[in-house]
Amino acid sequence: MAVLVVFSSPLSRLRGLLQRCWGRLERGLLPVFSGPRSLPWGPALAVQAPAFLPEPVEDASQSNEVPSFLDSILWMAAPKKRRTIEVNRCRRRNPSKLIKVKRNIDVCLECGHLKQKHVLCGYCYAKVKAETRQIRLEMRKKEGGPFNAPTVETVVLYDGEQPTEKDEGKQIIERARKRPSWFIQN
Amino acid sequence: MRLSVAAAISHGRVHRRLGLGPRSRLDLLRNLVTALVRHERIEAPWARADEMRGYAERLIDYAKLGDTNEQAMRMANFWLTEKDLIHKLFKVLAPRFQPHPGKYTRLLQIPNRDSLDRAKMAVIELKGNPYPPLIRPRCDSEKTLLNQLLKGYREDIQRATAPRAPEGTAV
Repeated sequence: MAVLVVFSSPLSRLRGLLQRCWGRLERGLLPVFSGPRSLPWGPALAVQAPAFLPEPVEDASQSNEVPSFLDSILWMAAPKKRRTIEVNRCRRRNPSKLIKVKRNIDVCLECGHLKQKHVLCGYCYAKVKAETRQIRLEMRKKEGGPFNAPTVETVVLYDGEQPTEKDEGKQIIERARKRPSWFIQN
Repeated sequence: MRLSVAAAISHGRVHRRLGLGPRSRLDLLRNLVTALVRHERIEAPWARADEMRGYAERLIDYAKLGDTNEQAMRMANFWLTEKDLIHKLFKVLAPRFQPHPGKYTRLLQIPNRDSLDRAKMAVIELKGNPYPPLIRPRCDSEKTLLNQLLKGYREDIQRATAPRAPEGTAV
């Protein structure tokens, strides 16, 4: 993509700049690209300029300007002034940047641990998950191999429990422990 | 005049993009549906569980049509990658949910995943599963026997102490 450079400065500055560039080229100070694009005598940058350059009348005006390598045509954005501590504080302490306070934390009524209002209690869920895992191990033992999903409903019975008439036709999974208080028999 | 590119902004877009593409999204959801039908209670990222919920409920609606229905059998064949679950779907889940008109699944959020990504996780389960319940419905109200007895006791105490105070202030 070609870079369009707009010169709003007077013509003498443009002429001086181009002369300096050309002088550097002739002296071999500008970087020469080694490769298919190496043109040691061609212009390295295409710049919009008038068709002819007026003859250099005097060099005294240009000798005041210090020729510098930093006199590049491309410029980068840079801060103009140091941001004061007041401005910095305003930006850093703006409410949108502070960490929001959570007000939706409650105490779980079952176990007393903290929980968010719309989320399950972590402790109670871990309890249920462990018991579910034990039930699933028993079910796997009953199934025997892979891909043997039972084609009947399942019922879980604990120590000393007998199947009721509702549990007829269901597969029975025995768990060798007392029924936990939070697992109500339906 | 719209100054911003429509493709790069997604305000108000409701469809989720999961996985590597549309086909990958369907494969992901299909795996989740198969797992749900096999295990009846699974943990998954909340977005995937929410997306899968609709597909699972529609699959059960299809299963309710009966396994002689050609369309229902084709749907079950596509969505359940493990073919022994087709038997479970038609013989166990369809009769279980026959009396219910809809809403066969329950989606609950659980604490964020413990790994580095801290993903929002959910547990999705079919209602009527044999496992212990995740939430216990609390039935505490004014009308329970214990609360009524406590209320009566409190009123008795007040009546016993109250007459003494007005006599003191009136004089």
